[in-house]
Amino acid sequence: MTPLQGSANTSQHSNRWLAQALVLIVGLLIIVGGIVAVLLLSGKDPASALNLFLQGSLGDATQRSLVVMRGLPILLAASGLLLTFSAGLWNIGIEGQMMFGAIFATIIARSVGNDTSGWIALALELILAAIGGALWALVAGVLKTKGRVNEIFGGVALNFIASNIALYILDGPWKYGARQQTAPFNAPALLPLVPDSGALSLPGIVIAIAGFVLVYLILKRSRWGLQLRAMGHSQRSAFLLGVRTERNVLLAMMACGALGGIGGALQILSPDPVSKGYLFPDSSGGIGFLALLVVLLANYQAAWVPLISLFFSLVPVGMLNLQTQIGLDPTLGRVFEEALVFIVVLANGAAARARHTMGEPD
Amino acid sequence: MDVQISHIVKTFGKVRANDDISMTFQSGHIYAVLGENGAGKSTLMKILSGFQPPDSGQIVLDGQPVVFASPADALRVGIGMLHQDVLDVPGMTVLDNFILARGTHLLPDRHRARVELSQQADKLGFDLNPDAYVDSLTIGERQQLELVRLLSLGAKVLILDEPTTGISTDQKEVLFNSLRRLAHTESVTVILVSHKLEDVNALCDSVVVLRQGQVTGSADMPSPTATLIEMMFGKDLPRSGQRPGKHAHKGLNTVLSVKALSVPGRRVSLKDVYLDVERGEVVGLAGLDGSGQRGLLRACAGLEAPTAGWLYLEGRDVTHLNYHDRVGLGVAYTPAGRLEEGLVAGLTLTEHVALVSDRGTWVHWNAARHEAKDKIEHYSIRGTSESRVETLSGGNQQRALMALLPQNLKLLLLESPTRGLDVESARWVWRQLLARREQGAAIIFISPDLDEIIEYSDRVVVFFGGRATLIDDPSKTSMAELGRLIGGVQS
Repeated sequence: MTPLQGSANTSQHSNRWLAQALVLIVGLLIIVGGIVAVLLLSGKDPASALNLFLQGSLGDATQRSLVVMRGLPILLAASGLLLTFSAGLWNIGIEGQMMFGAIFATIIARSVGNDTSGWIALALELILAAIGGALWALVAGVLKTKGRVNEIFGGVALNFIASNIALYILDGPWKYGARQQTAPFNAPALLPLVPDSGALSLPGIVIAIAGFVLVYLILKRSRWGLQLRAMGHSQRSAFLLGVRTERNVLLAMMACGALGGIGGALQILSPDPVSKGYLFPDSSGGIGFLALLVVLLANYQAAWVPLISLFFSLVPVGMLNLQTQIGLDPTLGRVFEEALVFIVVLANGAAARARHTMGEPD
Repeated sequence: MDVQISHIVKTFGKVRANDDISMTFQSGHIYAVLGENGAGKSTLMKILSGFQPPDSGQIVLDGQPVVFASPADALRVGIGMLHQDVLDVPGMTVLDNFILARGTHLLPDRHRARVELSQQADKLGFDLNPDAYVDSLTIGERQQLELVRLLSLGAKVLILDEPTTGISTDQKEVLFNSLRRLAHTESVTVILVSHKLEDVNALCDSVVVLRQGQVTGSADMPSPTATLIEMMFGKDLPRSGQRPGKHAHKGLNTVLSVKALSVPGRRVSLKDVYLDVERGEVVGLAGLDGSGQRGLLRACAGLEAPTAGWLYLEGRDVTHLNYHDRVGLGVAYTPAGRLEEGLVAGLTLTEHVALVSDRGTWVHWNAARHEAKDKIEHYSIRGTSESRVETLSGGNQQRALMALLPQNLKLLLLESPTRGLDVESARWVWRQLLARREQGAAIIFISPDLDEIIEYSDRVVVFFGGRATLIDDPSKTSMAELGRLIGGVQS
């Protein structure tokens, strides 16, 4: 894996950033070409389709606010993953950690009455969400450090368990009427909206950006971030140079889980139409997996993550308009997103290989 | 099959591992290739068995010049090698392993393979259960399986690399009997690579001795042990080049005290070792690779858990402290694999400096860069503060490792500190180490180079088969005596 650059070598850093920009642009062009081809083959006008797509995603304030708000959980989860990836950990369990964050936030959210203070409710929800995500990540971390279970396998198993726990709760103790869901949360439990802005919620945005900035600073400026990067390159050497690797594996997993957990809470705590405002079985909605793709697409470079997170939330919003207007299946958007990831990962791999054959270190 | 090698040269960087080597192995004979660590034995055998090509030189089999692209190539014409770490697949049964390399068919004939396996094993006097899983076998049995496999694939030349390490006396007897039978009744050429003179005496018809990449002699067995040792380790030279100021062990200011220590090893376990090391003392650990010396060093560092015994650091029981806690008490350890274990490939020198200094939550990159530049200057590292460590040469990597060692060390544990370095770099490393000694650190080091151990050690511990022998005054011990201890010969 190509780990994050330290700020110690800034010139190399900007070169890498530019190289990644080039790869992304070329990848995007290939994807756009593919989309145009599909549209032409199905007898639709690409220009008007693009217009509909942009109208649907960026055309008015409501749509734009939808893109931003749906990007926040992705950004939080991807920020967390930057930490684990830097340490050489593939935290596939992020999806389950988001689900646990949502479940833990619900503990508070479903008991918030209409006369409760919104700020206190929100603070408690998010703190519990962070704890829930961190605990579920800690399980994967302990399995790895004490049980020698690879975090990928542990993560996959824990994802299943998390989603089954959610099913059990929603079918049993928290069941609302005949449906597999909790009762809709009362307004004070939800993120407060900026008036007349569509779906925008200032606290949500602030929290997500703060999470990302914190991760960025940790990786570039903190000793712990440097330790994580050293572990990502060589756990063995880092250990002998004095890094407490086992402890750091647990801490990195928990930090990632906490950020993912908060992302999971945002997934259920926004008022309609961003989210439903109650807990349901698929509350994490594959956002954790999407965040993994975001980090892959960014080639582990933190600076790219916010932009790509927004892009990943923009595509489905825009595709929805294409569906209603010209009947294009919205899953096509996902297909192209994932094809883009594939192309970019391939390009990064090829670049690393080229550097390797030219005798330069990766 | 007669094997003739002529003028084989193989270099790795500046090191000439094989320097114009020629020798002949005749069909039906058992040979030993002797030599100390780094003499070039392994390199030569890897060339002969197709693992790596020579830079120049020729291999001739029964009059036919051959060139191998791979070990499979070599085996096809009849050269099979039994590696010290047997190349089998642990999760599979004996029979599966036997079938694995032979199958060109989609569906192997398991019944025929089973019959062949047992016939071949019977012929050699091996008792192998075809349905046993390889993980459940002893090392000796895994060797037997590998031998059976090589022979059934048509090996006419067998190269055995240290086959008697880690196997029982009975298994050794069985192995030697089968090798004798193979050579003397089936005209197989057997080449034994070994350090153990005892084995060579028991088994071989002739020996060839390598030293520093060259053939220094050959002899028909039996030969006097003294002659062999002299060929392996060289004549006793007057030791004029010795460094001044040897430290006489007084039993005061003990830094490290090792008591009744046993450390498990993969093949050889360290048993019941006692050692006291005091301030300002240099102790060299000699012995052939895998004789237990690394186990002692790593147990002292807290990287290997002993099965019995105690370790005391300045009187404090540290047996159960982990590596990082011992580092906190003034212990340092540098591994032999500089880039695999010592430094973090991918990080710059500045990042390394920041990594090992543990001051505060945030890294002050400018301060770290200045410190890195100071160290580069002070330790004459060829590179910049922004150089990634993997771009440095081996000597400069070693310098970087030394630069990263904390000040005020009590105990410095070093694994092959001058491995792969040229003479000048090696001297530089030792100047640094001796300066540490002057500051009061006790130094324990492993080296494959006996000359280095003699030159720099105040006392020497020789390891053989997990047993340690302390030599109080190495300057009064002859090379021959050391050679005997290293080779495990009872004097």
